[in-house]
Amino acid sequence: MSENRWLATGNFFTSYKAEQRIFLTHVDRLIFVCFLALLFAWPLVFQVSNKYMLVIDSILIAIIAVYGLNLLTGFAGLISIGHAAFVGVGAYSVATFARILGGDHMLLTHYWPLMIIIAGCVGAVFGAIVGLPSLRLRHLYLVIATLSFQMIFQWTINFSRFYDQGQSIAIGRVFWFTGKVVRKQHYFFWYYVILVFAVILGFTVRNLLRTKQGRSLVAVRDNDRAADAMGIHPGFTKVYAFALSGFYAGVAGALHAYLWRGVGFESFTLHHSISYLAMAIVGGLGTLVGSIVGPVAILMLDLQVENLAEFVGHYLTAIGDVATALRPLSFGLVIVLFLMFEPRGIANWWRIIRTYFKLWPFRY
Amino acid sequence: MSYFFQLVISGVVVGSIYALSALGFVLIYKSSRVLNLAHGQIIAAGAFITYALTVWVGIHIAASFLMSMVITFFLAMSVERIFLRRLIGEPIISVIMVTIGLMSIIDGIIYMTPFGAENFSFPEVLPKVPISFWGVSISWTQFVGVVITFIMIGAFTWFFKASTVGISMRAVSDDQFASMSIGISVPKVFGLAWAAAGLSAAAAGGIIGNITGLNFDVLHSFGIIVFPVVIVGGLDSIFGAVVAGIIMGLIQQFAAGYLDGNWGLNGTADVLPYIILLIILLIKPHGLFGIHEIERV
Repeated sequence: MSENRWLATGNFFTSYKAEQRIFLTHVDRLIFVCFLALLFAWPLVFQVSNKYMLVIDSILIAIIAVYGLNLLTGFAGLISIGHAAFVGVGAYSVATFARILGGDHMLLTHYWPLMIIIAGCVGAVFGAIVGLPSLRLRHLYLVIATLSFQMIFQWTINFSRFYDQGQSIAIGRVFWFTGKVVRKQHYFFWYYVILVFAVILGFTVRNLLRTKQGRSLVAVRDNDRAADAMGIHPGFTKVYAFALSGFYAGVAGALHAYLWRGVGFESFTLHHSISYLAMAIVGGLGTLVGSIVGPVAILMLDLQVENLAEFVGHYLTAIGDVATALRPLSFGLVIVLFLMFEPRGIANWWRIIRTYFKLWPFRY
Repeated sequence: MSYFFQLVISGVVVGSIYALSALGFVLIYKSSRVLNLAHGQIIAAGAFITYALTVWVGIHIAASFLMSMVITFFLAMSVERIFLRRLIGEPIISVIMVTIGLMSIIDGIIYMTPFGAENFSFPEVLPKVPISFWGVSISWTQFVGVVITFIMIGAFTWFFKASTVGISMRAVSDDQFASMSIGISVPKVFGLAWAAAGLSAAAAGGIIGNITGLNFDVLHSFGIIVFPVVIVGGLDSIFGAVVAGIIMGLIQQFAAGYLDGNWGLNGTADVLPYIILLIILLIKPHGLFGIHEIERV
């Protein structure tokens, strides 16, 4: 079979299997492997201060969370404004173990990969519960269901003595084969752990969309009656989309808990839910590239906003807290502007640039 | 027993404010099927405009109450014109996400003003001695607030039942294409629905501000408590919003009065509406008075 290496014009696929490959060309695969190698190698070469390592780790965690949100909003077409609460469910399921057994118990420090998976499963269960109304309803109502879940979550954490009324619950340092991960290596170690999780889960998303289960999500989003006629149960598909999204959020939450070595209430508020949504929209709903680019873009913007707020606050001390004002303002503007002018997000720019270089010197 | 009646009175007061807040939400949903998540922020903006006009400019409170309603009327109309008009025909999901963005933007703008961080309270114009009867009491501010609320709700009901514009709005909510074919301008109706929602939001904001004082967190939480109210009442029913608003107010007051402090519970009034919301979504998704849509999954 003659392989068209660049896919410059037309489609030469002769089977569905060929079309569904993860990497369409060898060059694609090569670029991806190089990129992955770069991601794994750079911390060994460059020394980055803990502050920036923390930012990078947070971006990776946000990427995992946004995979889940993008599955729900982008692929299944269900808006969730309670995603931070699902992330919080993951984090607080680790915290529950920490409260019962103590933060330094072996289960938490030695078997942390197991804990992360458990947190994901707990997130999935909660996701499915919140998604239950979708057995009877169309998507509009589900926005409200997720919002009310966010509210119930915040109340539960804020008012329960078990969770210390939202105060930080400490989680001990974990062990690796070489022994305890000490303070100096903490962010470095978790960078690799989170990166491995992000890559595996990213492949899972990509592979999911090659299967019946994944495409049924898209079918339900595009036309649920047609999907129903083809033998896909729209209600169950939606519940299952919620469960999947909850699993990703739960994993992200557990990683968040381990990275910060504690779980506090203030990381999982409605504002965070909105910023997750902003990440998914800015990246590009319904694309895998989007859920990677979006968190990077939004968290970089967040850093810049913080710098700007510091700068402005220096001169305008009279005006209240500029940082608290600028953050929602910039997030809101980004959401609205992207939806109005580039609803397909940054992933679309990426596609445009790629096709430009592929077709060069022709315009189309 | 008088404790019970006191709770009933304050439940009705809170509930009628919920009803007024939910009214604007229902107006937008009824005409354009958009869930307006920024409604609480519009309520807050209305309250702050009323305060600014009363205290900083120095107009009489009744006049500034009316003026803020007019200002918010045009504000909401321009929000619709700038942000939502170009999204007509886009999937409804992106319109809802735009309102989430709007919520964030208005949050940011309000945080820039002194209202974002500090608390203010309106000057007292009504008599301070509460109205007392049969051992229960209601303050004059609350009484006037409830009266204004019911006048507003009555006016809106009349507007929808009898006026030409109201009828055309109902026509649009029923069938956009059919109403276009008989010469109703659908974008104009959407604009008007937003404007009317802004007007009622400003009224709600002014009343809440007078009763509880101006605190941004409290004010914009009214935009979220609206959801349980409209779901229980049925998303597209004004009458449902009124009934459900009062039910919700009563439930909250009873929860705060009887549940809190017992069995280690605290702040149940804040969470009960959302639990009820989830249950209603599961067992009776159209609410009490909503239109029973035939299509279902």
